[in-house]
Amino acid sequence: MAETNKIPTLKAAALVNPLESPTPGTLRAGPRRIFVAGARRRVAIHLIERLLAAPEVDLVLGVDRGACPPALLGCDPERFIFATADLSKRRQVDNLFLLDRLRERPLDSVVHLAFQGNPRGYGVESHEFNVNAARHLLDASLRHGIEKYIFLSSDAVYKIGPRTDYKVREDGELNLDPEVHPILRDTIDAEFMCRAKMDRPDCEVMVLRPSGVFGGGVLSGVNLLFESTPPVLPVGFDPMINPTSKERLGRDLMLGIFLHGKGVYNIAGVTVGPLSKFLEERGIRPIRVPGPALGLVNRMQRMLGMTRYHAGFHPKRLFFSLVLDDSRFDRIFRTNADSVLALARSPDPVRPG
Amino acid sequence: MIVLEVRFDVLLPRRKADLVKSLLPLLERERVHAYALSDAGFGTDPFGTDRDLLGFGYALGYWLHQHYFRVLSNGHEHIPKRGAAVIAGNHSGVLPFDAIMLAVDVFRFTDPPRLMRFMVDYFVYQVPFLGVLFRSLGQMPGTRRNFDGLVHEGHIVGLFPEGAEALGKPAAKRYELYPFSHGHVELAARYRVPVIPFGLVGAEEQMTMITDLRPLARALRLPYFPVTTTFPWLGPLGLLPKPVRYFIHYGEPIVIDPAALDSVEVRSREVDRVREAVADLVQRGLEQRRELDSSGSQP
Repeated sequence: MAETNKIPTLKAAALVNPLESPTPGTLRAGPRRIFVAGARRRVAIHLIERLLAAPEVDLVLGVDRGACPPALLGCDPERFIFATADLSKRRQVDNLFLLDRLRERPLDSVVHLAFQGNPRGYGVESHEFNVNAARHLLDASLRHGIEKYIFLSSDAVYKIGPRTDYKVREDGELNLDPEVHPILRDTIDAEFMCRAKMDRPDCEVMVLRPSGVFGGGVLSGVNLLFESTPPVLPVGFDPMINPTSKERLGRDLMLGIFLHGKGVYNIAGVTVGPLSKFLEERGIRPIRVPGPALGLVNRMQRMLGMTRYHAGFHPKRLFFSLVLDDSRFDRIFRTNADSVLALARSPDPVRPG
Repeated sequence: MIVLEVRFDVLLPRRKADLVKSLLPLLERERVHAYALSDAGFGTDPFGTDRDLLGFGYALGYWLHQHYFRVLSNGHEHIPKRGAAVIAGNHSGVLPFDAIMLAVDVFRFTDPPRLMRFMVDYFVYQVPFLGVLFRSLGQMPGTRRNFDGLVHEGHIVGLFPEGAEALGKPAAKRYELYPFSHGHVELAARYRVPVIPFGLVGAEEQMTMITDLRPLARALRLPYFPVTTTFPWLGPLGLLPKPVRYFIHYGEPIVIDPAALDSVEVRSREVDRVREAVADLVQRGLEQRRELDSSGSQP
């Protein structure tokens, strides 16, 4: 094996002086070779399209179970590879990093979007997949010299209630209630795995917690609620939210990939307002039921195929406000968006105004 | 009958606008429009304050301030025209009409109008409609981060250092101040903002507390469950306060020693300073009321 292709070991990594770690928000040098796990997700498809449009991106490896999504079939085969793999299998994950095509051009960034967040039919298999995929992907990334690892988490990890702050920062209280939905437990566990590796000097591990994501076909709570016919809300409650969009999330992920920085970051939309105003803006008329009946009505709606929104996933979500404070991400990443060539040219600014 | 009319108006925006028009003089309506609300996208600020509901709330509060409680107040020159400040004083009256009158008073007599933001007990936000109403009127759950955010954005924050317990003060302890918590001093010291003390007289007489049904309060997750001379005997009507006159006095701003952050002794001393200032202002209110009584004016 050529000297340049040697996989950096933990010992070698430990020799890197942490004082020389790059300034957060500065541009990572060189072209990017990116592994996108969960490539069949809408957000991932959007991200891959954007990445391939960027000249700074040398190669994108999209991985998921099943066939390549039709939207990505026409992508330049020189710059995009789609691989089918089960990320919960350690050997299969390892093999992805050892593909022939990557021998000369090894990957440098991993974006984990493969976390299964759909509460419908979330059983042991999904749980095993989420836990093992998170673990194997992170371990393999660290073993194979990945410089940037990004895990897309969720705002549902925060505990919400009447005491929730008007804006929730990254150090807000997490929902560690043992009774929470297993997806939330698994998401928090996956976050903790990432947090345990955040001090590694050779790999910048990032956790991004997006607020609800709008966009056709996106499987986020707020999007599924808005796609319901009609959305059902509790009487007398109108929480404040700041949802983001698929496009804005894609840009934020690109910033995370292209710029230096590690840690946990909230990412959210520009507009803050009551849930009812967002519905009103889209011409959607919700129906309101007494709070205790919400779960039952939601279950009936799901049985009748009127909604894919699962009220039991995050039961207090429709009662209490959850506005993410993403000023930290804004300060470190969005303010430096101009340094990323692809984003500087983009007609859709990442900063409000 | 009046209650039904008000609820009807809440449900119908056009009627709500009519009600605002009928309750608020033109100049006061202009003050509502002049209030600088930093729009976060949907006509609400990041805290959820809604201009329409603010106007509606101010209209009702104005009527209570002007005609029901006939508030007499002075010392508004001590309230800063801009920038953050903490306003702290005594709390009483079983139901928090004192907070409403204070907020209306500050909004009415400051130029440009300033909205006083209270740190409200959490239980309010669990109650359907009430939580949304409080948030829309700019009142926030009492968390440290909310306080930080309000001060950071340059708002006036209202605090009752005696706590919600003081609302349920028995008649025998009228105008006796409960011990002050230290939070307001600590926060004021951290952000180098002044504490403006106030003394409020009148609220103690609006309802007379006989006892507090604590087990029921616990079951209903309320801070207290009052039994007054009128409630629950007269049903919901028993919660209507007596139309007593309010007297509000604002004192000179107190600059808190930053050493209060490092020393419990200094903090206690600063808390005592604020408490003494509030006690003086309460006495001033009581004297003013006595003078009015003796001069034969309607109390």
